[in-house]
Amino acid sequence: MQHRSRGKGLWAIGVAGAALVASLATAPAGTAGAQYGGPPITLTVGLVQDIDTPNVTAGYLVSSYELWNLQYATLTDKAADDFSTIPGLAESWEASDDGLTYTYTLRAGLTWSDNEPLTADDVAWTINTSRDQEWLNHYSVTQNLTATAIDDVTVEITSAVPDPKLPTMDVYILPRHIWEAPSEGDITTYEALDGVGSGPFVLQEWKPGQEWVMTANGTYWGGQPAIDQVVFRVYTEGSTMVAALQDGELDVAHLVPAELFVQLQSEPGIVTVAGAPGGFSELAMNGMAGGLGDGHPALLDINVRHAIAHAIDRDALFDRVALGIGQREDTIGASADPVWTPEIPADQQLNYDPVEAERLLDAGGYLDTNGDGVREMPGGGQPLRLRYAERSESSQGPPLREFITAFLAEVGIATEVSVFDDTQLTDIIARGEYDLFVWGWTPFVDPDPLLSYFTCDQVTTDPDNPLYNDANWCSEEYDALYTEQNQELDRDRRIELVHQMITLFHNEATYVVLYHDADTQAYRTDRFEGWLQQPSGTGPVVFTNSSPTYANLRPIGSEAPTDTTAPGDTAAPGDTTAPGDTTASGGTAPVSTVAPAAPADDDSSTGLIIGILVGLLVVVGGVVLVLRSRSGRDDRE
Amino acid sequence: MSDLAQVSPRAFRWARRRASAAGFWRSLRRDKLALTSLVVLVLFVVLAVVAPWVSNRADFNVINTGDNPVWAKPSGQYLLGTDNYGRSVALQVLWGARVSLFVGVAATVLTIVLGTLVGISAGFFGGWIDAVLMRITDWFLVIPFLPFAIVLASVLGRSLWNIVFVIGITSWPSTARLVRSQVLSLRERLYVDRARALGGGRAHIIGRHILPNVTPLVLASTTLAVPISILTETTLAFLGLGDPTDVSWGGILDQARTAAAVTTNRWWYYLPPGVAIIMVVLAFTIFGRALEAILDPRLRDR
Repeated sequence: MQHRSRGKGLWAIGVAGAALVASLATAPAGTAGAQYGGPPITLTVGLVQDIDTPNVTAGYLVSSYELWNLQYATLTDKAADDFSTIPGLAESWEASDDGLTYTYTLRAGLTWSDNEPLTADDVAWTINTSRDQEWLNHYSVTQNLTATAIDDVTVEITSAVPDPKLPTMDVYILPRHIWEAPSEGDITTYEALDGVGSGPFVLQEWKPGQEWVMTANGTYWGGQPAIDQVVFRVYTEGSTMVAALQDGELDVAHLVPAELFVQLQSEPGIVTVAGAPGGFSELAMNGMAGGLGDGHPALLDINVRHAIAHAIDRDALFDRVALGIGQREDTIGASADPVWTPEIPADQQLNYDPVEAERLLDAGGYLDTNGDGVREMPGGGQPLRLRYAERSESSQGPPLREFITAFLAEVGIATEVSVFDDTQLTDIIARGEYDLFVWGWTPFVDPDPLLSYFTCDQVTTDPDNPLYNDANWCSEEYDALYTEQNQELDRDRRIELVHQMITLFHNEATYVVLYHDADTQAYRTDRFEGWLQQPSGTGPVVFTNSSPTYANLRPIGSEAPTDTTAPGDTAAPGDTTAPGDTTASGGTAPVSTVAPAAPADDDSSTGLIIGILVGLLVVVGGVVLVLRSRSGRDDRE
Repeated sequence: MSDLAQVSPRAFRWARRRASAAGFWRSLRRDKLALTSLVVLVLFVVLAVVAPWVSNRADFNVINTGDNPVWAKPSGQYLLGTDNYGRSVALQVLWGARVSLFVGVAATVLTIVLGTLVGISAGFFGGWIDAVLMRITDWFLVIPFLPFAIVLASVLGRSLWNIVFVIGITSWPSTARLVRSQVLSLRERLYVDRARALGGGRAHIIGRHILPNVTPLVLASTTLAVPISILTETTLAFLGLGDPTDVSWGGILDQARTAAAVTTNRWWYYLPPGVAIIMVVLAFTIFGRALEAILDPRLRDR
């Protein structure tokens, strides 16, 4: 689980139906309401990506994981500080002598948010059914497991193979009494608006494209949260979201555009967090392992791939496109924990070296024989003209394309740019009809799922059944290492194996990793305290691996409910739940509202005012002139 | 003009054309506003044409601007400042004029050619041809323009010629209707009857009598269609549907938006392309209106 592949899940077929149908959810029984009889204490979160579906067996977007992290507890939890395995629904566990079987003891008196008892039967049912039905977000953990409920609070889990991930059991446990009926049909089409869970907050309402609301779960085993509800508001535009944060309409914003993030760093009352690691961005080349499509033959030559890597100044991309926010790395990050990421020896690093790039191409016989500035395949013929797929859904798409195509042109490789949204791009990748694209992955705590994407098993061979291996690359050596680490119980040895795999993949240069992105977030300090970075010191505060912040937040000055109407608190919590107030969400806030809170840069404000005046003058003048010319014409007629 | 009688018919025709051109110029000169617009237009066209000679496209290629200051304010060195990648805004606006004007004019040509063809065919032939063509025209007229253009642009892919095509295919119906109504009245004129009685074929009548008489109308509607085309191109580019590898005014506005120039008060990034758009569109509109005013009376005189 923790598949947080920022819109890159390729198994999303059938999600659309569920997402489209859903509009209003039933109110869950566990609604907490105001704890003190006053208006509910509301935390408002701004983000630029809606959930794809509340159905955990079908969704794959980062925002959906936040919903599930809050709604569904896991057998073992992850510590806020360092991801270490801590008790969740299970308060203790015991390993058998052979290390294949673990016996978990649940906390006493657990209930679902609808007051039904949560028992070992729910746990066993979730694990066994997810294995049998290959649920998207469960299967990578449960594929070799068998669970048996011994009694109401004891569950025994046996793995068919040595499993280094155990005893960590971080799959979302679902309420059997709700999910059993959907699981008898096609479970991925279930709307999942029931709002029954065992986490600190449960879904109350989802308005697709606008917001979703989660209310505190009064029966939460970790204790009633100090805030009553969380509103996740979806913005179409990062700058509008930041303006709302500055105005106090939002308490925290997720994925703040880099340019604005730099601005917010100097703003009082707002704390910025460049959460690491957010994920990585890569330039991927078509490895054509699936035999589908029409990739450029030159990309099968490792020297061409190395030349492309050497042609690109990744320092420039990191400094000027990512604005230095994140990490300049050479390899993929397979885990949120940097211990799994190897150092690439200096002599193997594919650093910016256009001379070396040209030498590699010249030596391979890729020469510009007809003098048009573009190299051709050895012996003339097909030019090195590569299709470049740009993502329209990323604000870094256009600048990255501009840099990369210019760098490639410098060494005699031409590009043809097409722009695709994520659905289109997923489709052309599945059909193998691409040469280059830039996209990214966000890793999990355990490196296994991300590493599995580059195995031969994940190469798409049927365009209607797209799998994860979007580089279309396959290696027996890599696959052997993958199987070995997957069953290696000695952690140090496993780390070594993973390092070998990542280094091997790096040297193939099918992916040129551009940089590791940071998860840029900003939160206000005037209303809530108790923000938790996961992992501590370096991680993000929201949209983390297990989202511990929400249950930990409390209003500043705590027990006084009047706090929510403090001066300057322009977003009265009551507003967000006012009946009929459905248009309050993102995208519609006027840009001008940023003015009061904008950093006071006198020069540029003066400039802006002058600019607006000039613009007004031109417009008004123009209108007057048009009217005059019209009347003049009328006179003549 | 006492020597008119001695010249050949061909020379006479030319003399008459010269005279009418002179008359046109006289009328235009009286309209100071139209003249100013013409000057503005000529200025923009000249700037667009000479851009490759006075500057280098590579000068604002991101890989060459690494040493430039980012977000520099307008100064002697950077006339309109720089953007977030150190690219000169002035250069972008200059090169953007090429795309915006080209698309505006090319799309208008397509609009006018399509519109005139359909309009003349429908008006002249009448009957079922008219019925079919007009139903097609109606169909295009009732489709909401912008959504249709957006859908077309995203289906066709993002290239310069596709934008031209999209604008052309979505804006010809009004021209067609205009031309058709004119042709309907023209084809009933006595001289058309006479030409027909003397054995003139359809091609002759359309070529020699109908087309020349709708030309002034078409010309005036051309100058009025250009600003609409430019604005449409700007809209599509702003929505991210323009050619990604070309710089156009709408594209600059889109970049300014994603670079948060508006929220961070970097007015020099979004104001210049905006002002350029307003000036060109306004100039075309004023000039088009003046043209219409000058040409319309002649139409009515007949």
